[in-house]
Amino acid sequence: MDVNGAPSDAEIVARVLGGDTEAFGFVIRRYEAGLLRFATRMLGSRDAAADAVAEGLVRAYRHLASCREPARLRTWLYRIVTNRCKSHLARRSVGDVPLDEAPPLADPADGEAALERAEQLALVQRALTGLSPDKREAFVLKHVEGLSYEEMAAITGERIPTLKMRVHRAREALLKVLEEET
Amino acid sequence: MNTTDPRIHQVLDGELSIDALPAELRHALESVSAAADLLVAPVPGPSLESRIMAEVRRPASSYLRRVASWLATPHAITFRVRPVWSLAFAAAAAAFTLFFARDAGPQLGEHEGIAQFVGRFPDARSVHVVGTFNDWRPGTIALEDLDHDGVWTATVVLPTGTYEYMFVVDGERWVPDHLADRLVADDFGRENSVVIVRPVHR
Repeated sequence: MDVNGAPSDAEIVARVLGGDTEAFGFVIRRYEAGLLRFATRMLGSRDAAADAVAEGLVRAYRHLASCREPARLRTWLYRIVTNRCKSHLARRSVGDVPLDEAPPLADPADGEAALERAEQLALVQRALTGLSPDKREAFVLKHVEGLSYEEMAAITGERIPTLKMRVHRAREALLKVLEEET
Repeated sequence: MNTTDPRIHQVLDGELSIDALPAELRHALESVSAAADLLVAPVPGPSLESRIMAEVRRPASSYLRRVASWLATPHAITFRVRPVWSLAFAAAAAAFTLFFARDAGPQLGEHEGIAQFVGRFPDARSVHVVGTFNDWRPGTIALEDLDHDGVWTATVVLPTGTYEYMFVVDGERWVPDHLADRLVADDFGRENSVVIVRPVHR
């Protein structure tokens, strides 16, 4: 249990495997927002991301016994959702083609600053979806989810130098697009 | 080609202090950081908890049922075939069609072709296809699931051309066919599937 009294990941996993299905709600509440953000940045669509995350978490529940390191549940969940995202991308045959669904625009009532921020987000998301899935994945895991290269290697199964190279190339490609567009 | 100063990557990777970065390189660093900050914003929308927990609470299906379900679900299959074999197969298929299937099937006009629509909707009570070929009118072309395996199909003769379409499930839920040749954005921010109907030469 942590300092706030919330059960640790390992405790939750033990409870679910012991038959307490409802304890899986802790996992969802703890990781849903991050996984949904990751999948949305990967797929360029909130609806597709919701499908990928829901499928991934149901799959995680069904195969929870195969989570060999419950203390590193987060990494394991990201690996599953990453694979669901790749599966969605392959099914939609988008490959390197930018997705056509833009992020939701801000409500005009939100004010000028919010509108400008929404426009900038749309621009960055477009630039992001213009990257190859491998580079996009590396950039999002590093700079959006804030993971270390070691954690990224555990999620993707790639070597750290490969991931570094992908992140570097993603930054360069994004910088190029952002400089052209602004 | 690497056009970005490696020191920018070193700072972003936490290998170099930002103080060691010359002022003229800080703009690129700030651009990447600002882009990342925008992407870090939470994605708004309803929680998925009830949807996931509903699925989790359902008893897991048996192995045989899962195998049957997998067999009944459409999957993308990729073949890597040497061109010479694919040409030979195409020639054999063409010969079979010419000699054995000449009089089979409906008689189609010169500018008509066959479109087959297939979708998997296990819990649906009805499925229709609507599109530019029927002015998006629901209820005119119904798909069938004769063996109740959740896979709905319809075969339709249409004038040759390219059409956009969607499935209408239970008369109210419009969903695109993600197995279509292509998906295109419509004017409502959704996606339409695209089917190309080619002429059938006899």
